[in-house]
Order: sequence, then structure tokens, then C-alpha cells
Amino acid sequence: MHLLIEAIGFGVASGAVLALGAVGFTLQFGISNVLNITYGSLMTLAAFLGAFLLGLGLNVWLVMALGGLLIGVASVALNRGLLSPLIRRGLQPFGLIIVTVSAGIVVQYMIVAVAGPSTVAYGNLSGATLHFLGWTLTTAQVVILVVALVLMVGLHILLTRTQLGRAMRATSSNRTLARSCGIATTRIGDIAWFLSGTFCGMAGIALAITVESFDFTLGSVVLIPIIAAAVLGGVGQPYGAMVGGLVVGIVSQVSAAYWSPSYENVVALAMLIVMLLVRPRGLFGANSSSRKLLA
Amino acid sequence: MRRALVIPAAGLLAVLAGCGASTPAGKPAKPGPINVGVVAPFSGPAAEFGTLLSAPCEASALLINNAGGVLGHKFQCTPVDDTGDAADAVPNVTRAVATISNFDMALGLESNTAATTVPIINKAGIPFVTTNGLVAFNRTSDKYFWRLTPADNANGAAFAAWAADKGFKKVAVIFENNIGSQGNLPGILSAAPKLGLKITSNLTIPADASSYSSVVSTVLSGHPQALIFSADPQTTATFLANYSQLNNGSMPPMITATDSLTPDFYNAVAKAVGASYLLHDMYLVGSYFSNTTPAFYAYKQAMEENPKTHAIAGVITTVGPPASAYDGMNILALAMLASKSTTGSVYNSYVQQIVSSKPGDVVVHTFAAGKKALSQGKTIQYVGVVGPVTFNKYHNFAGQFAVVVFTSATQSNSVKVISGAQVSQLLQ
Repeated sequence: MHLLIEAIGFGVASGAVLALGAVGFTLQFGISNVLNITYGSLMTLAAFLGAFLLGLGLNVWLVMALGGLLIGVASVALNRGLLSPLIRRGLQPFGLIIVTVSAGIVVQYMIVAVAGPSTVAYGNLSGATLHFLGWTLTTAQVVILVVALVLMVGLHILLTRTQLGRAMRATSSNRTLARSCGIATTRIGDIAWFLSGTFCGMAGIALAITVESFDFTLGSVVLIPIIAAAVLGGVGQPYGAMVGGLVVGIVSQVSAAYWSPSYENVVALAMLIVMLLVRPRGLFGANSSSRKLLA
Repeated sequence: MRRALVIPAAGLLAVLAGCGASTPAGKPAKPGPINVGVVAPFSGPAAEFGTLLSAPCEASALLINNAGGVLGHKFQCTPVDDTGDAADAVPNVTRAVATISNFDMALGLESNTAATTVPIINKAGIPFVTTNGLVAFNRTSDKYFWRLTPADNANGAAFAAWAADKGFKKVAVIFENNIGSQGNLPGILSAAPKLGLKITSNLTIPADASSYSSVVSTVLSGHPQALIFSADPQTTATFLANYSQLNNGSMPPMITATDSLTPDFYNAVAKAVGASYLLHDMYLVGSYFSNTTPAFYAYKQAMEENPKTHAIAGVITTVGPPASAYDGMNILALAMLASKSTTGSVYNSYVQQIVSSKPGDVVVHTFAAGKKALSQGKTIQYVGVVGPVTFNKYHNFAGQFAVVVFTSATQSNSVKVISGAQVSQLLQ
């Protein structure tokens, strides 16, 4: 029982990072309908930018915020400079996926060209180990949990209590109708890509803090669990992605504790398949086939 | 399912590659340098092996070229990126065999990719010295295969022997789920009962996970006195950091493979848990060689003089696989001279002759000395860094084992020799 409680704690800690990533991933998909596989490489880029910024002597949490903003800008640039022109030329969704896969590989190898293939580490930033409710977490993990929680509450307020949030939800629900109602859908798209990139960047740096040491494959390794979390929660559903991230994290850690650690991702993905067989729309998916933020 | 499709496809490509590649090795060398293909990962998570295996090639090439080369050819080391993935390696190695001029010798072909790269290179008729430890090659019939490093199961038994020697009674065995790391496991499982070692946990872990906390919790419940561990730098750093966090900052000693004796590994782990752990509690076990022989001095000097290897000479020269690759390259180059041919199918049959002891042999420790003796019409026995070599009928030679410790990121010391006979007994 003690091991189970401990494993759930570890799962919540790693799930918080996955949730951050999954929320960004699903938020952007909900608005743009582009399955952005470059996301993993942007997380890696954030981690390397974080190493550079830490080298300048900045505080790690400031670095996390700055890294998030920089990747937010990069994310908008990716959409404006590459994906939007291709969409305007009529490239189909499958073609777009291939473009994002390719762009991800280009970004990954640009990182190698600049930083080399060796591992990079921030140094031990974990802080003291804390014990409560049978859980054992580091100070850094607790801070990441709190940051994730604050960001998600902030996103909730943005989407439900502000004019911008309503415009984003309208664009997500029906882009053409939103545009005809006077919503600047292109600008809304930019904001969605920026927010998605910010979550992506912060998740990348949070992951780099957690793993202690990483290389240029960092983001690609967690991309599948992040997509799994997004799909589990219901594609385009930020709340679903939050819950999905936690569920994937907890299931992975519990299965590692009780079964074979080498199959921890397999168990999480098998659970995803079973979930989708039972509830194809995911945990928080909309009833209709259309995508709706917070439907 | 996807993996099941990839493996036959890789095998098919390997066969096709071999068919198409037999021509270059059968032809006399064109003018220009002999290309020594360093078949190793130069990209991806295992890219450190590329550095590890390029260095001895560069050192040997420097000395061979300083001695005037072979039959009018200089030697040149050419990276062939196998990416560390058996399926991805196939097109890269196939392309290299088909396009690199005078590709007459190969080094590397490490454990992660050997299953697909060895057949391609062997079929192409290119003699090669492999550093892979796969047990499957203990009884190979591949004609161009030569191995001067121990099989992984023997390495595993040596891990256990060192654990027992240190007085540990309870160890946890944790290996990454790759073929190179997993190859050690049978040796440990065979040796542990004979040495009175209790294995408290025997776990396989995925590489580069975001957390190993649950694994560490399981390991901690067995109260091991030491960890027998093998994984890439990032995985090791994350695992140890999690161990420290969950065990009040304390970690038991770790026994791992000398493959990890790289600056990259040192830096990754040092930043996660501190350099003190690496310097005082980490033991790296691998093939042994003496660092007081004339061959070793020549090897180390070449490593230090070469600008490409100077920075890592201190640590690389304490590791078995690079030393065996260096010796292997010298042996193959001397076989070229003895056979008066750079064609693989011709000089390959002279390899045994170069290392075996025969009446009237001149014992040589460097390529230059061997070239001089051969030019005087003498027969030679090459005794290199790894000592006298006796290839068995499967072209395998295991030798002895050493326990090495880090003294800095780029320096290390050998602290114990484990005899090959002891390891063989543990495997029976």
C-alpha cells in the first residue's frame, strides 16, 4: 500500500510536466486543427535555451518563464512562416503532419549542430526532499506542480472569463462563423500558437529540471505520452489534457512499481486504447464531431 | 507489430547490400588513401560511442601514416554513422560500402547495431574488428569477423566477481532495455549464486524516462549494498538523482561497464549527483590491458599527439574497446603488408599469422616495428596494447578484465585485474 501511495505521488509529479505539455498541445490543436509534431523538438529547444540562460546566471524559475515566452514566439513564427502559407496553398492535414515531423527533425539537428550531441545538465536544482501524505517529492517537483496548477487555473480564467477566451472558444468551435461575427481569427490563431508554445517551452524546461540530464532527444521521448494525454482527455480539451497528463503519469509510475519498468509507457498507451474503445471522444470530448475548447 | 516488420526489412536490406557490395572489396585498391570505416553511432543518444571508437582509429592511422602507410596508401578514418539503431544502420552502412572508395577495413560495429551491420560488412568482404559484445557472435562463422573484446555475458560475470571481491552480499541489477546492456545479464545470473551474491532486484528500465522514482522505490525496498547498472548517461543521471532524493541523499556504490568511461557520462552524472560519487563509489569493469608495455606507450603517445584525440586521451586509453580497436587496426594493416595486398579477401587470411607465436618470430609492439621487420623478410608476432592475442577458431579473443575508477572527467585508474580464467569458471 505504501508503495502504491508513493508511486501515485511520483506519477502526479511526472504527470504535472506531461499535463503542461499536453495542455499546450491540445490548445493549439483545438484552435488550428494542425497536429503539430514539431512540439517535441520545441520542448527540446526550450531545454537547451534554459541551459544557455542559466549559464548567464539567471534564476531557474525566471528561466522557465523566459524560455516559455521565447518558445511561444518561435511557435507563432512556425505557424506564420511555415504552416499558414502551406494551409493557404491547400495542403491537406496529412501533408501538414509530415511538414511538422520534418520541421521537428530540422529543429532537432539544428540543436545538435549548435550544442553538439553530448548530454547537458542544469546542475542539481531539485532542492530538498519533502515527505507528506506518504508522498516523497523534491522541492523542484512541488514548485513545478504549483506552477502547472497556476497556469491551468489562469488558462481556465482566460478561456471562461475574458473576451479573448470567448473569441478563442468561438474560433475553435467554428472558425468561419467566428470570422463572420467579426472575430479576428488570424490574431486568435496567433495567440493560441503563442500560448501553446509558452506551455511547450515551460514543459520542456520543467522536464529538463526533473530529469537532471538530457540531450537533443529530450522532447521526442515525451511527445508520445503528451499526445496520449491529450487524446485521453479529448483532443482540443485543455481540462481533458490536464487530467490526461496526470492519468498517464500515475499509470506509468504505478505500473513501473508493480510490473516491469520497461513497459511503463506500454501500459499507459494500452490504457489509452482501451479508454478510446469505451469512450472514443476521450474523457472530456465533445458530443459532436466538431472540436470545441471547453465544450 | 511495427518492430516485427522493421527487422525483416532490415535483414533483407542487409542481404541486398551485401550482394551489391562484394565488388569493391574484390578489386585492387584505387590510388588514394585506404578508408577505415568507423561503424558506430555518431548521432542519437549513443553518439558517445562514435567518439570512443574514432579515437583509436585516428591514433593508429597517425602511426601508420608516420611509418609511410601501407603499400603506397595512407590511412584515413571515415565515420559511418550507424545511429545506434539496428534498422536505421542498414541504409547508412549499405551506402557507405557502396560509395566509399578503398573501404578496405572497418572498426566498431557495436552491440546495438551488430546484428545488421556485421552481415553487411562481412558480405562485402571487408575485414573488420568489432567491439560488440553480443553472445551470438561467440561462435560465428563470419570469415571477416575479428573480436578482441569479451562477450557481454563474460563482462556480466566480471561485474559479479568485482561485487563479491568488494564484499557485497546483496546487489540490485538494473539494466537499460537495449541489447548491449541486456547482454550482461546472463553472466551475472550465472555468476551470482557461485559467488554467494543475492540479487535483491533484477529490473529492466526504459531509456531517458522523465522519472525512475517508482523503480528506485522498488530497489530501495531490497536494501542493496551495491547497484550493478548499465545505461546511457542521461538515464544513469536521472536514476541516480532519483535514488539520492528518495534515500536521504545517499547512494550505494555502482558497478557498471567501461563503456561509460567517457567525459560525457562523467559530466552528466556529476551535474546530477556530484563528482564525489563518481570518484569514490563508481567502478567500471571491462577488458584489461597493462599500461606499462611498449605498445601502450606508443598508443597513448599517439592519442596525445593527435589533435583530434588529445583532449580525451587520458580517459580513452584506460578503456578496453578502444585499445582493442587500435590493436585490431594495426593487426589488419600488418596483414595487408604481409600479404602484399589491401584486398580484404587476400589479407584476411594473414591475420592469424600476424598475432600467432611462431619460431623465429620478431615480436613487435607497433605498426612501424612490424613494417620494418616484414620488409626485412622476417616473420612477426604482434603483441599490442591488449597483450598477446590468441584468436580461437571463431575469431574471438576475450583476455582479462580490469576494474577502473574515474579520477577526473578525462582521467581514470585501473584498480584491479580479474582473470579471464575466473570469469570463464563463473560462466560454466
